[in-house]
Amino acid sequence: MPTVILMDVSLSMTRPVSLDGIEEFQRKNLAVHGLNMLFEHMASNYRLEFTALMAFSSLWELLVPFTRDYNALQEALSSLEDYDKTCVESALNGVNNLVQQEWGSACPCQLQMTDAMDNLEELLRLSGGDGQIFTMDGPLCMKSVQGMFGRLIDYAYSPFHAVLHCGNLSSDVQVFPRPEPVVMDEEVEPMPRTVSADLEIVGFIEIADISSPPVISRHLVLPIAPNKDVDEVGTGATDELEEEPSASQMAGKSPNFCVLLHGSLKVEGMVALVQLGPEWYGMLYSQADSKKKSNLMMSLFEPGPEPLPWLGKISYLGPISEAAENPYGEDDSKSPFPLQPQVKRSYAQNVTVWIKASGLQTDVQKILRNARKLPDKTQTFYKELNRLRKAALAFGFWELLKGVADLLERECTMLPDSAHPDAAFQLSHAAQQLKLASTGDSQYAAFDHNIVPMHTDFSS
Amino acid sequence: MKMFSVAHKTVFVVDHCPYMAESSRQQVECDVLTKSRAQGVIPLAPVSKSLWTCAVECSMEYCRILYDIYPKDKLVNYIVSDSEFHILNSWRREDQSTHELMSALAAVGPPNPREDPECCSILHGLVAAVESLCKITELQHERRTALMDTAERVANRGRIICLTNAKSDTHVRMLEDCIQETILDQNKLAAGSDRLMAIQQCELVLVHIYPQGEDTLVSDRPKKEISPLLTSEVHSVRAGRHLATKLNILVQQHFDLTSTTITNIPMKEEQHANTSANYDVELLHHRDAHLEFFKSGDLHMAGTSTRENGLKETVTLKWCTPRTNTIELYYCTGAYRISPTDVNSRPSSCLTNFLLNGELLLNHYLSSTLPSIEAVLFLRCLMTFTKVILTQKTKIHLNAVVPLANLIVKETLTEEDVLTCQKTVYNLVDMERKNDPLPISTVGSRGKGPKRDEQYRIMWNELETLVKTHAGATDRHQRVLDCIIACRSKPPEEEERKKRGRKREEREDRTEKNGNKETDDKSWQESERLKGLLDKEDQESEVIKDSPDSPEPLNKKPRLTTEEVQPPERAKGPVSLLTMWTNRITAANSRKHQEFVGRASSVNNKFELYQHLKDENGMDVHENGKASR
Repeated sequence: MPTVILMDVSLSMTRPVSLDGIEEFQRKNLAVHGLNMLFEHMASNYRLEFTALMAFSSLWELLVPFTRDYNALQEALSSLEDYDKTCVESALNGVNNLVQQEWGSACPCQLQMTDAMDNLEELLRLSGGDGQIFTMDGPLCMKSVQGMFGRLIDYAYSPFHAVLHCGNLSSDVQVFPRPEPVVMDEEVEPMPRTVSADLEIVGFIEIADISSPPVISRHLVLPIAPNKDVDEVGTGATDELEEEPSASQMAGKSPNFCVLLHGSLKVEGMVALVQLGPEWYGMLYSQADSKKKSNLMMSLFEPGPEPLPWLGKISYLGPISEAAENPYGEDDSKSPFPLQPQVKRSYAQNVTVWIKASGLQTDVQKILRNARKLPDKTQTFYKELNRLRKAALAFGFWELLKGVADLLERECTMLPDSAHPDAAFQLSHAAQQLKLASTGDSQYAAFDHNIVPMHTDFSS
Repeated sequence: MKMFSVAHKTVFVVDHCPYMAESSRQQVECDVLTKSRAQGVIPLAPVSKSLWTCAVECSMEYCRILYDIYPKDKLVNYIVSDSEFHILNSWRREDQSTHELMSALAAVGPPNPREDPECCSILHGLVAAVESLCKITELQHERRTALMDTAERVANRGRIICLTNAKSDTHVRMLEDCIQETILDQNKLAAGSDRLMAIQQCELVLVHIYPQGEDTLVSDRPKKEISPLLTSEVHSVRAGRHLATKLNILVQQHFDLTSTTITNIPMKEEQHANTSANYDVELLHHRDAHLEFFKSGDLHMAGTSTRENGLKETVTLKWCTPRTNTIELYYCTGAYRISPTDVNSRPSSCLTNFLLNGELLLNHYLSSTLPSIEAVLFLRCLMTFTKVILTQKTKIHLNAVVPLANLIVKETLTEEDVLTCQKTVYNLVDMERKNDPLPISTVGSRGKGPKRDEQYRIMWNELETLVKTHAGATDRHQRVLDCIIACRSKPPEEEERKKRGRKREEREDRTEKNGNKETDDKSWQESERLKGLLDKEDQESEVIKDSPDSPEPLNKKPRLTTEEVQPPERAKGPVSLLTMWTNRITAANSRKHQEFVGRASSVNNKFELYQHLKDENGMDVHENGKASR
């Protein structure tokens, strides 16, 4: 989730912080100090985060567009100028433009502001309540600023480290951006679900079978050096930085399961199903971001035992070897997916709907058309007739049954001399059966009963 | 929607009393005679549905849509009421299908008109409905068992949809009171039982059905709270298609559905196998499928249309024949089940069969993603999916032409009119220079289509033809034409050699296809050339500049600044939907009023004061050596 930092550069920020001590600070210096601490933390632990820096007073100005270059951000901080008064509305407008231009409207965004104001809570409420205000504990001083930014870092910028397991193989990984907790139904399950720090690969499946499933978020999976946990709290002291080479540098030197996994998924055209927690799954796959470069990524499905209806319950899936018969066929010519739903959807089962007159007319005409082609079309004729009969009975539309019976009788009288004698028999038989059904007599009007063709024998 | 919202349990209570056997008086001609057979045949008298038939078929349609989109855990209990109540199914999952319900309804049959009306009442059914709402469903049971200590989180809410023919408003009030009392009674009972749950919320939707041509005895009433447990609303509807429309609206409201119409689906005609006609198919699906469009902020422009009933809107998407690779993963933010509104119409069944037959696919999901370029809606099935591209607003750039087109037809033009026209032209030049797509024909081609130049050429040609026909009127008209000709980057003497010029343009088009780098180079050259022309333009309109009343024509400074802002845009290649939209809005706003010079030429909403001092210097530096000087 990209970050926009909105720095208040109005005159109010130049107010001196009254300290008994030796040095005198402006509020601005405190803010800059805090931000530097944040940037340092990000540079070492959260380097993939895109951050933009915007200064505002009554106007706003984009100092640094979205970047991962934290030096540039720190440089810009050091050259802040002072302007007139605070006007947050236009600044927010500016943020809006910036974010939409760069990321599109579908992107959530973290917004950091560095001056405390009374109406911030109201702002938070207006924006849908998703957010948090950090204030300083205690007096304005370096220490409480550090404390505040420390809390912010813990809240929003702590890296997500996990162990990716696959049988006996495992690898320490960072998942970026951090997967956020999900609330599925605030009433039944008010506690948000969080992704477990142990990611267990439960199986592999063809890309064609999983077929671009809907996901709630996507993340990069980056291997990190084992047992070399980077400082998560991020106290931001500069001297620590030099000592510790970045985690990914270390990772490059030791063999890693992630590399094997990524390569295999890419070559095989498969994805790995991964369990993220109880009844929560995701998939690992190789995503190419250019012709040469590709990344191991993880997408999260909606929590639940059956996130993708065409696969059925994930827990029901198993290795091919366990199936009595290879579900893909010996020559890999078929696939068990998509699963067939138990009840066919209306559009897959030729339902009868007569809400529009045209629907009814079409069905009647279909019967008459087939009636004229008897006995060749005997099967279709009775199939359509029974379909109409069933619907008419269910809708209590007995008048229609009588009407169609009349029509069939008329057709019978209009048969040309050349017609097959069977046609007349079938027509009057069908008409009679419909009339019987229209009386509601349980013997003839049962829903599951079908009118069967009259048995005739003209072969002799 | 919460798992146990009122939508979890729906009870249909349908009146089966003798008066429901009355005719709806809406006649259906089912004997459509073909011309060749018409002689001497007396057509069958039209049939008409009874109130009962209307109620049943519309409620079945409601269930059909519901089951299509929520195959699990949105449950229906169907009750029929006459001298007693008849419960046609249970909450159990295996009872939840239209086939089950139709079978049970066939057993009930139409109401018996000879039954004693005094014994019959809808009340029997309503009381049974409340009792039924107290019965625990499988899902409620599973969840309660799973939650153990926090079992009380499983709520019991439900909705009663009552299809009846009420006698009066007083009658309706009596029914409401009775339901309220029954709820209280049943809740007491439920308190002492494991298999029953007290009702926390009940929504009564009473639909009063009356025959065509009669006046209603019951008035419509929006939802109101009868008690904290019960809300009630009354819909008074004529039988027939009005009732069908009403229930269609209700099912959408009750289950958070909305509509999308896929337009221009090519289908082979049965009669003429070689030709294909285009059809539209309307689909219902969960509202969230449109979420991404709403976020992008311009759903209304994207082709929503309010339909006859005024309540329902549909988003129109243009069909795009699928061209996707099944062995690739595409980013997908959501998949939604769909149900066609008109399930057995030919276009609907053609579409669903097309999707079903892919590889015997049975799950249908509507999923939407929003890449930066255009809104793409996937009609997803398993093996193949069907990309449907949001029909783009075709008028963005044409709108930009409107002020000019409106003015040029006038007999006389004022200086100000000429200015407006010139401004419009500059605007277009600017768009072309920025390589903004003319979305008229971008549908179907992603990103920067190779024919963008071609589109502009057509646009310019049309514009020129339009202005030319009026150019003889006055000198000012002529000036507009001159401006256009100048801006088309063709010196007037080249006008005569238009044909040859066009050929050259086509060649350039081809080169453009070969490499984007060249395109960029070209557009740079072009913009340099344009700059020169614009400066010339500035000199030409110097007279106007001196007049204190008229604003300055677009000067060089803002152009340069937009230039500075734009390059990253261009470098990215395709223009984002947002940019297109922003341009459109800007164009629209610029038509509404004369933009303040400051704002028009501001950078990041800032305008530097006294910049003319700097300007003069800056321009001099910049223009040294340019042809215009």
